[in-house]
Amino acid sequence: MNLPPAFWTYLKVVLLVATVPAIVGFVIVLAERRIMGFMQVRLGPNRVGPEGTLQGLADLLKLVTKEDITPAKAEKAVHFLAPVLSVIPALTALAVIPFGPPVRVGRTIVPLWVADVNIGLLFLLAITSIGVYGIILGGWSSNNKYSLLGGLRSAAQLVSYEVPMALALVSVLLMTRSLSLVEIVKRQEATELWFVFPGLVAFFIYFVSGVAETNRNPFDLPEAESELVSGFNTEYSGVKFAFFFLGEYTAMIIISCVAVTVFFGGWLPPFPNVKALEFLWQIPPVLWFLAKVGVFLFAYIWFRSTFPRYRFDQLMALGWKWLIPLALANILVVAFAILLFPGRTTGLVWLAWIFGGLFVVMSLLAKLRQKLARRERLAAEPHPVES
Amino acid sequence: MALKKWLDKIALLDLFDGLSVTGRHLLKKKVTIEYPEQKKLPSDRFRGMFRLDEERCIKCTLCAIECPINIIYIDWHNEKDEQNKSVKVLDRFDVDLKRCMFCQLCEEACPTVPKSIWLTTKTYEMAAYDRNESLYLDIRKLTDWRQAPNVKPFTVVERG
Amino acid sequence: MSQAEKDEAAYFAERAKAAAASADAAAAATPADHTLFDVQEMELNFGPQHPSTHGVLRIVLKVDGEKILEARPDVGYLHRGTEKLFETETYPMGIPHTDRMDYIAAATNNHAFCIAIEKLLGVEIPRRAQLIRVILDELQRLSSHLVWLGTSGIDLGAVTPFWYAFREREQILDFFEEYCGARLTLNCMRIGGLPFDLTPGWTERLSEFVSDLPSRIDDYEQLLTDNRIWKKRTVGVGVISAEECVEWGLTGPIIRGSGLAWDLRRAQPYECYEELDFVVPTRQNGDTYDRYIVRVQEMRQSARIIRQCLDRLEPGEIRGKVPRVIKPPAEEVYASIESPKGELGFYCVSNGSNKPYRMHVRPPSFINLQALPRLAKGHLVSDLVALIGTIDIVLGEVDR
Repeated sequence: MNLPPAFWTYLKVVLLVATVPAIVGFVIVLAERRIMGFMQVRLGPNRVGPEGTLQGLADLLKLVTKEDITPAKAEKAVHFLAPVLSVIPALTALAVIPFGPPVRVGRTIVPLWVADVNIGLLFLLAITSIGVYGIILGGWSSNNKYSLLGGLRSAAQLVSYEVPMALALVSVLLMTRSLSLVEIVKRQEATELWFVFPGLVAFFIYFVSGVAETNRNPFDLPEAESELVSGFNTEYSGVKFAFFFLGEYTAMIIISCVAVTVFFGGWLPPFPNVKALEFLWQIPPVLWFLAKVGVFLFAYIWFRSTFPRYRFDQLMALGWKWLIPLALANILVVAFAILLFPGRTTGLVWLAWIFGGLFVVMSLLAKLRQKLARRERLAAEPHPVES
Repeated sequence: MALKKWLDKIALLDLFDGLSVTGRHLLKKKVTIEYPEQKKLPSDRFRGMFRLDEERCIKCTLCAIECPINIIYIDWHNEKDEQNKSVKVLDRFDVDLKRCMFCQLCEEACPTVPKSIWLTTKTYEMAAYDRNESLYLDIRKLTDWRQAPNVKPFTVVERG
Repeated sequence: MSQAEKDEAAYFAERAKAAAASADAAAAATPADHTLFDVQEMELNFGPQHPSTHGVLRIVLKVDGEKILEARPDVGYLHRGTEKLFETETYPMGIPHTDRMDYIAAATNNHAFCIAIEKLLGVEIPRRAQLIRVILDELQRLSSHLVWLGTSGIDLGAVTPFWYAFREREQILDFFEEYCGARLTLNCMRIGGLPFDLTPGWTERLSEFVSDLPSRIDDYEQLLTDNRIWKKRTVGVGVISAEECVEWGLTGPIIRGSGLAWDLRRAQPYECYEELDFVVPTRQNGDTYDRYIVRVQEMRQSARIIRQCLDRLEPGEIRGKVPRVIKPPAEEVYASIESPKGELGFYCVSNGSNKPYRMHVRPPSFINLQALPRLAKGHLVSDLVALIGTIDIVLGEVDR
């Protein structure tokens, strides 16, 4: 039976829209709470279901059965629309992400992505920008000074950090000469080089901007509980709040997926073309992809439990005064490296070695700095403690 | 130190310091005590729920006088026993647990040895659904915890 | 001209006349300066229910966008009439009420109360009682600073130091529970000394705890002290000079962070502080970061003091000679100690009976809170949270 190709597309869309929110609700929320708990020398939630696995279900049931309160003077239609505008772009962006190489199902070859748009990266950037509307409208329609402040701040933050994110991706574009995400992965396979090595600075800028884009710690001032009491989503309860929540976590997944695809080789195992490591291909590439995304989500959680948050003006200064010039400089360096050497990839390999070396040096310097910091702290005391 | 200042400026190494602390604690032993399966046994001097020993009590009402919140209500009357001596008989010994601060001044004031009213019963689980019934203790509930259904004693400390 | 053109001309002439007339009217009606770009200041209520006001504190803010023009604290939500309660009860009955003022550091409240009455009575406190009182005080200082560290961190976004600090605080509370039976509202001092003697093994365990403490404090410092984000949030925020501190009557880590090494344990020693060897940490700039460093170093110094007291402990009496019914002579006295928040004083007026005539508390949090409008002017709303944390208020003490 020859199924029409449209069937597979619809099936993939249904699977994505059905599973990703479920994964967010059940896995990511629980993982965040438990891992944060572990980092804080406590156990996270572990009572609902074995080791807390049903916590997501409990949270979902609670949110769904909560009373849906709309403030009296709020703009009802916009208040209803805002969470929707926050979720839909995030889910839509999942369409262009390649989860793995094409798979053989019976007699057809099914690619593991919904659509391989040849302007994939541009599509992603554009779609995630629409998510900003949800936040602005959410903050404004609540008829609450605090929410308004939170919404406007968040909008300013999101729009500002789109620029360094895009510039960082431009430097990757120079390496691949294609915006299609599938092409980028294939190029990393061809050059046997994950683009994180020549693009270490680009990766760093991209990830920091990504954390800022999703309103996560250390850039979570717009929704900080202790400052504005949840900012733009103060007046939301029940399902609408669940949608905002879902939108934020799905955006986290998108940023992680794009970071993995563009910088860390997507579905490729490490050293994909090396004969001796052929056995690594035995593990399904989808699992490699998911494992790498998991590492990034862990990094998100790690950041959240460690850092204080930036004040808003400092946040904006960081984006405009530091990240954008750094991203521009990075583009220059990468372009220079590519043009200086013959062939497409020699320059990249040189850059990879240089950045890799710098990274190793930095790690050693970090250790040294830790020792120096400790010594300085003890010296700053009036008397050293004799213990 | 100039080297450290320079290091701090060029890269975000101080942030990695913080990350290493939380990373290290990820693998350390967790300090959570999972109530109610595991419980922390209170110390010997822990000020918990009241117990009264009616036999030892000499009805001097010093505890009621010392209480900073005046929540102990004692009523007694005189009666003649077999030897025609006048003894005090307790009518009412109520403690309003809702307002008690567990300061132990009543136990300190009690002159009998061992004390007739004491709080060192290691009992702190006194939650109740119904305020006035369960949190107002009369003489029966003070002397016999089976009468006070919301009280879950750790140990039944029969001392004073 | 044709009829159509004539009509047209007439029509336009009429239009022009009407426009001129309305322009005249408009020119007469509008004021001289336009109010298109008027900036309005917003009055915000940093309400009594807010996650970072450390209790029920209401601050009425006048903000211009993000900048604070005026911040007026509105207190009284936790007023329970403690000072009046003192007048209706005898002296020993007042001690449990003092616990509930600064509920984070209850032992220092008890201590100040007892010292005031002991001064009235002229009671001599035995040495062992003095040493144990100092140990309890310093343990409370540690506990209070740990709470401050945790909550300050959470207010500024660093959620983990809270849990690490409370892990240590749990151990301290366990020590208190073993000693006097309660963890938070201690009632651990009596007029003339202490209610109980130490349990066996308490000193050994405390000694172990105090040895572990510096490495734990290192953990907190590693997370926060050199963190550039923390520094950005706290350096330069809420600067106050030492002269202004003296004018406003601010005490405690606030004045020590501004450069003046004023600590009642050194300036007006009580108990056995004269013979103990510790340093009063002082910093120069008077901003939030400096007050943070001062408190962290105070924690280390508390550990030293506890170790020295433990070394000096000898068996002895724990309660001085105090009459059974306490009836101080009809005098008045003011006695103060260095609580973790500042100078905590009790002004006691006795009229010869067994109940005080008037017992007034000088709460450090209340006096320090006065400085909030001065500190907050010119800063952003996000800094307000940092400032409330750095003044370290406990509403129980502010409102009594």
